[in-house]
Amino acid sequence: MTSRRIVALLAVVPLLLAACGGPTSNKTQIRWYCCLGGGDGEDQVKVEEAVVAKFNASHPTIKLIFEHQPYEAAFDIFSTEISSDNPPDIVGPLGIGGGNAFPNQWLDLTDLIAEHKYDLSQFPANTVQIYQFGAEGQIGIPFAYYPSVLFYKKSDFTEAGLNEPPHKLGDKYTFPDGTQADWNYDTARKVALLLTVDKNGKDATQAGFDSDNVVQWGYEPQRDDMRQTGADWAPGKLLADDGKTAQIPDAWAASWHWFYDGIWKDHFAMTGPQFESPDYNPSDYPFFTGNVAMSANYLWSTYGVGDLGEDWDIGILPSYNGTVTAAFNADTFRITKHTKHPEEAWTVLTYLLDDARADLLGTYVGMPARPGEQAAFFDTLSANYKQKVDWQVAIDSVKYADVPNFESPMPHYNKAFDLIDQTYSHWQSTPGLDLDKEIADLRDKLQQLFDQP
Amino acid sequence: MAAIPFPRRRPGRVSLARREALWGYAFLSPWVIGFLALTLIPMVATLAFTFTNINLAQEEPLRFVGFENYQRLLADPQTWQTLGVTLRYAAISLPVAMILPFALALLLNSRSVRGTGPLRVLYFLPYVVPFVAGVLIWQGMLNGETGWLNAVLRFIGIQHPPNWLDDPSVVYPALVLVGIWGIGAGIIVNLAGLRGIPTELYDAATIDGAGWWASLRHVTLPMMSPVIFYTLTLGVVDVLQYFLVPLVLNDGTGAPAGTTLFLNLYIYKTFFTYQDMAYGATLAWFLFLITLAFTLVLFWGARRWVYYAGAR
Repeated sequence: MTSRRIVALLAVVPLLLAACGGPTSNKTQIRWYCCLGGGDGEDQVKVEEAVVAKFNASHPTIKLIFEHQPYEAAFDIFSTEISSDNPPDIVGPLGIGGGNAFPNQWLDLTDLIAEHKYDLSQFPANTVQIYQFGAEGQIGIPFAYYPSVLFYKKSDFTEAGLNEPPHKLGDKYTFPDGTQADWNYDTARKVALLLTVDKNGKDATQAGFDSDNVVQWGYEPQRDDMRQTGADWAPGKLLADDGKTAQIPDAWAASWHWFYDGIWKDHFAMTGPQFESPDYNPSDYPFFTGNVAMSANYLWSTYGVGDLGEDWDIGILPSYNGTVTAAFNADTFRITKHTKHPEEAWTVLTYLLDDARADLLGTYVGMPARPGEQAAFFDTLSANYKQKVDWQVAIDSVKYADVPNFESPMPHYNKAFDLIDQTYSHWQSTPGLDLDKEIADLRDKLQQLFDQP
Repeated sequence: MAAIPFPRRRPGRVSLARREALWGYAFLSPWVIGFLALTLIPMVATLAFTFTNINLAQEEPLRFVGFENYQRLLADPQTWQTLGVTLRYAAISLPVAMILPFALALLLNSRSVRGTGPLRVLYFLPYVVPFVAGVLIWQGMLNGETGWLNAVLRFIGIQHPPNWLDDPSVVYPALVLVGIWGIGAGIIVNLAGLRGIPTELYDAATIDGAGWWASLRHVTLPMMSPVIFYTLTLGVVDVLQYFLVPLVLNDGTGAPAGTTLFLNLYIYKTFFTYQDMAYGATLAWFLFLITLAFTLVLFWGARRWVYYAGAR
């Protein structure tokens, strides 16, 4: 062999070794997949990577690999990984709906919980039940909650000469003339009209109000999913208890009427094109840029209120038929049923849920599932905001959580979600609809879907 | 007379021709391997999927289902709706995608137009912008409330301009507008074709008394027919696979009212959103067969109107 060939061989061998990953490690590799829910923010990824580094430093037999994808692409990539028999071991943070989008993909933790004597009694029983999915078993352990609250911009109320919304259930709303009213959606509508302002400074109750040139809107419901809008009025689900029948809860229909009229008649809520417009809503939710006075949203949405400075607080959501309901999101981590290393995945899962929870809950702005840790969590959160935010509202809102949760499973979940997404988008961009007929049509289409094998 | 010994090839040496062929195969192999791994084998795999019940959840055991997926396809109203959406859009967009680049190329090829160099660059420039970024920009421009297009329409006195992306009656023209963004490549192809037409043909036509229109009809169009055929074939294939714009512009929801749920988008959603791989594969083969049929018809018809100057 010539010396040139030997040199070439010496050059190629290390490259081949490097390409093959070098000497093999005895560590079991566990892949943590993110971000089918939250967790893909730049700052969040830094925290998650730090958690992974800490885990790897303290666990000599497991190598945790963090695989994060932006939310927009995460569903497709996860589907591809499962279908190509290359699924990750742990997925999260993952909401209830995100999990439902992948039925039959999650490991039943019942045996691992029993084997490791994991104490589920530290969580309220109803929160544990959220993750009990019939034949699929206990597919999750409570981790973080995001109750809905009413964010409001304080200066908008001051400028309009209005009192701020109540912070406690049962407190009445006081109008400028001293009259008091129950804090329900009728009252919220009246306040929203007073807070909706056109470019000439007229509010929506005044003659000559120019609805084509609104510059400040009074109320923004959570519109990511029409079920959420409904669930802020009353708990419900689109599938009846018989598991076959499509249903539209009356309160949800009422909420959709209220919102639809709010867009097209009262003009206190943005139209679909306005909501989609980067001019009015450049950063996910219009409340973030100060264009909306009141906004029903989850606790996680505090990620976007930074630009409002100290000019915001949270109040209690309006009541419907005398009852307050706060739709809630819940995140946790799940083990995929395809994992080849359930024991090691369990070690990682409990590390994320327990050891790393302070870091992760902090970055996700998730309320701890353990009630005893909630006060400390909000103390930490308060340090981020100079004004005194009334976090007690969020703590109280858990009591009014929507049970059953609006994201409850239904047959052909992804198709049904697609259908309601299209429907809601249509309503928000089309005036003059017969909404009762639209709602009846939606129910019929859902039924057709549920009837499919 | 002693026979002259035939020169024997040295053992272990390959002939020059063989060596050249080997090198040829070596250079071709990346493409062949890529084609096999990324196209042919997946195609065969998807064909096999169409006869199974494979899906992501796989609640039932994987089994052979015969032609069940094809029967389902024929009975699925969404298949025909999405095909209808695709064909309706094709009927509007294809003529624009064919005629506009040709007309602009004619203009840029004209001696009476000055500054054709900078114009060529300007027309081609949008083509090099990443398409998704371009679509997002168009999303802002077509916004019914704050888009530039409606701002211009309001400026010229149209009080209630259309809600481009949310109104079923105007959404296709809106999509065609977005498509015009990328006609730079079509202009270049047409321009290259026009530049390849021998000038003596125009001189002869002029001597025969042909004007601009007669020259276009009797010289330019016949000589450009291979290019027109090429762009038409690619245009048909492209429009049948139309996908990215509705995915980005309307988040793939098919809004408004299902008018942007194209067949290819339905296939994508069936695969990735509804996670039904077997039926998604069946739909993909359905689209493949439709595309093949259209292409074969085009090739069959091409014999009647495509003129190859160099052909025997």
